[in-house]
Amino acid sequence: MSRSSVDLDRLRLELETICGARRVSMREPDLDVYARDMWPRLLLARRDGVPPLHRPYVVVWPESVREVSAIIKLARGLGVPIIPYGGGSGVCGGTVPIFGGITIDTKRMTQLRGVSADELVCDVDAGLSGERFERELARRGYTFGHFPSSIYCSTVGGWVATRAAGQLSTKYGKVEDRVVGLTLVSGHGDVIETDGPSRAMRGPNWTQLVVGSEGTLGVICSARLRVAPAPQLRVYRGFEVDDVAAGVEAIRRVLQKGLRPAVVRLYDELDTFLNSLGKKGDDDRHGPDHDIAPVPAEGEGALPAVPRAAPDDDGVVGRLLSLARGRRLDLRQEMLGAALSRPRIINGLFGAVAEKVARRGCKMIIGLEGARIRTEVEAALTFQEIEAAGGRDLGEEPGRAWLAHRYAVSYRMSPVFRDGAFVDTMEVAATWERLLDLYHSVKAAIARHAVVMAHFSHGYAEGCSIYFTFAAHGNSRAESERIYDAIWKDGMEATTRVGGTISHHHGVGLLKASYMAGEHREAMAILDAIKASLDPDNLMNPGKLGLAAARRPAATSEGRRELRAERRPEGRR
Amino acid sequence: MSGFEVELRRAVGDAHVKAIGADAWQVAPGSPAEVAEVIGLANRFKIPVRPVGTGTKPVRHHGPRMLVSTRRMDHVIHLDETSLLVHVQAGITGLALEKVLSPRGLSIGDYSPSILGSSLGGLVAVRTPGKSSVRHGFFEDAVVGLSAVLADGRTVHTRVAPRRATGPDLGRALCGSEGTLGFITSVVLRIHRRPETRFVSAYILPSVDAAVRAVYLALHEEAAPAGLRIYDAAEAELHFGAPVVTGDDALLVAGTAGPTDLAACDRDLVASAVTAEGGRAADNRLAEIWWRRLHHGEPTPGPAPTLQVTATPGKVRPVYQEVRAAVVAAGGKVRAHVSRFDADGAVVFFTITGGSPDPLREAAERAAQAAGGWLLGARAARMDSYFAALKAALDPNNVMNPGALA
Repeated sequence: MSRSSVDLDRLRLELETICGARRVSMREPDLDVYARDMWPRLLLARRDGVPPLHRPYVVVWPESVREVSAIIKLARGLGVPIIPYGGGSGVCGGTVPIFGGITIDTKRMTQLRGVSADELVCDVDAGLSGERFERELARRGYTFGHFPSSIYCSTVGGWVATRAAGQLSTKYGKVEDRVVGLTLVSGHGDVIETDGPSRAMRGPNWTQLVVGSEGTLGVICSARLRVAPAPQLRVYRGFEVDDVAAGVEAIRRVLQKGLRPAVVRLYDELDTFLNSLGKKGDDDRHGPDHDIAPVPAEGEGALPAVPRAAPDDDGVVGRLLSLARGRRLDLRQEMLGAALSRPRIINGLFGAVAEKVARRGCKMIIGLEGARIRTEVEAALTFQEIEAAGGRDLGEEPGRAWLAHRYAVSYRMSPVFRDGAFVDTMEVAATWERLLDLYHSVKAAIARHAVVMAHFSHGYAEGCSIYFTFAAHGNSRAESERIYDAIWKDGMEATTRVGGTISHHHGVGLLKASYMAGEHREAMAILDAIKASLDPDNLMNPGKLGLAAARRPAATSEGRRELRAERRPEGRR
Repeated sequence: MSGFEVELRRAVGDAHVKAIGADAWQVAPGSPAEVAEVIGLANRFKIPVRPVGTGTKPVRHHGPRMLVSTRRMDHVIHLDETSLLVHVQAGITGLALEKVLSPRGLSIGDYSPSILGSSLGGLVAVRTPGKSSVRHGFFEDAVVGLSAVLADGRTVHTRVAPRRATGPDLGRALCGSEGTLGFITSVVLRIHRRPETRFVSAYILPSVDAAVRAVYLALHEEAAPAGLRIYDAAEAELHFGAPVVTGDDALLVAGTAGPTDLAACDRDLVASAVTAEGGRAADNRLAEIWWRRLHHGEPTPGPAPTLQVTATPGKVRPVYQEVRAAVVAAGGKVRAHVSRFDADGAVVFFTITGGSPDPLREAAERAAQAAGGWLLGARAARMDSYFAALKAALDPNNVMNPGALA
């Protein structure tokens, strides 16, 4: 068979030979599900019931590296794209099969092959969910220390593929800081292990060339990851500072002293203000809480059993949209739309109100955890440094409240979408020298179109990331998409202009692909070369990461047409 | 004079080009733009480019070649004291940079001065163990951005950000690439404030095994010492000129640094770990001598070690034991110290004496690898075809230090 024509039945048969019939699906609901991830722009279409534009031809669930290799070799022979898929929690459209193809869901590769106590390294399969991974480690007395708010619906492989960051990254680092080696099936279908002490080996560090590749170089099947002993002590504290600049300075001082709190979060005025609208007594409701007790409860680590939200608390995002709370739905939608259609006014209004109401300034959350003795010493030094930088101690309560609700945020988005508005987040980063510039520039860029607030988190000795949350509204899907695209265009360009990076931990996907040239400029030549090395046929997740080879794999256009023709009767069955 | 030489002289000036053979030249460009120009020329004329930095070990090359020295590119381009970053040209040595940083209370970090004599571009381009500290990590991790000239004369900059999620870390393709993929012209490095306090201390433990266990016990309690070294009895005797420890005993020296409370905390964590492993305090002067030698240029007696083996934390003890057993079985003598600890492991430095050197060394190397250690200069041979493809994409004429990583 020539590579230019793909026979769907044959594809299915071949895949069934590799994986067995039960782990291959061409059913309509499956193809619909794997057509998208959590990219908000796609949710706009979904809200209107628009069918997905791009669907995979087929979804497979391999259970071993050998099966993945066989699938890729098959796909290579047929010229069919491969889209690796983990939890589907990405927010940039990284797993959307824009040229069709085989979506490889890794979620049936879930082994955690032990933890070496000597090395503090574990070997884990890509498809293991974050929650299960962390619970299994906790049971053995360890933690990976990676707690993204998506931990209940993301996978280890997805983290590695996107250079993800968790809420405690200031201590434990981002995922790329914790990867010792990877097992990758390249675009050739070869199994590669990148392990080896990078500092002792000559030549480029292949692990770091694969981490963050978002499926464009191969399928990450397993990873050797550094783990840490489970923390013996957790200390959380809230502080107030006069303004964003003072808070940024306090964080910088702490981190440049060599102190490594697990969490440092600084909320800007609007974010602080909306936070303060939470009901009084909110924090008392959970009482003595096992997951914030000094010693984590058995088997729980830092993970509550379910993401916790107070029943009638919509969270900060909800409050951002609470302008019309309590009215009839249609009126509420109308008012919400009216408000969000005039973001400049709202931003200005909020700015003024926030200034008046939250005169106390900006709130900070600081948390430390780890080995008992050193954590105690570091906590004392950290709090001392923040006070020396002008921070006012708010006690433990704000820290406890954050800890209790920190996973709930992302789950509060759907009501917003129901109300006809949309919400998204933009996480950018820069060195300290450029950080306030970045904050003001990006905020101004987004504020032209949306209501925007921000917090600073994920700090390093040399800089910090800023997490913008914005909400906007369009009268139609077309208008919403237009506004959405304008927000990202202006935000990304503002970021590049002041020397920041366009993504700190969400990745690129489709959303930021067109801004990659601005981010890396001539260095894109290196990315193209890595691609040419590991996936010369452009089989792997084509069209992503802004690669020059953003075309579909060779000779599949006919195949795709053929497949589409083939699939129609399939769908009616 | 060849057409290539004429163009070369026009590009960088007569004073900076020296013919060293029929078709071999030494050139010292004065700027990244000149580097781009001479590499573009070499690519056009298909002349192999051999980078030379300060501290580069001389390699004998034959045939046509252009040796490119970074010695004229030794400027500090930008010192960002707010972000604790310094942007330097590739030709500056670590020691020269330290002279700029030191009066400002800043430092490159707790790296061994023995490596800082090299130009920083070379330090980043050529990966050898020993560029690590527990406190400041592997030297390569301090690289936040870099600029390099590719074979076709294009200059690439990896833009500076604390971390990013915009694809693979592109700068890492050039780190350790030994000039085969691009010529590094400048780097942006993390720097550190000079610590408020330093402590050093010395301990005696019942064995090298116990000393290694004590170190990892302390590290698991999150101590982050500025330096650690373990000597076996023979090595300690040679280094300190007296039998400071005897029999199977081992000497452990440790330095801690940082805010006073933290430096003291780390010192105490090491001391507790030593106690837990059956050790006791030793004469602190031993630690002071070690630190002075390491950081203030006092010479260490004895020959350079014969063999350096990198081991992950769990492999340090087996590597030490197996190599020792193998050398003794082959009729030689061996002494060792373990140093350059970081989260990923440590380096065991063996000095082998007696018998005939080559068979002993071979026996030691075999034992080290069998025990899971990595020899100096190891290469991931399984990545060879991928590396070749990567190089072919960036350097189709194969002019960038050809053969260096093959």
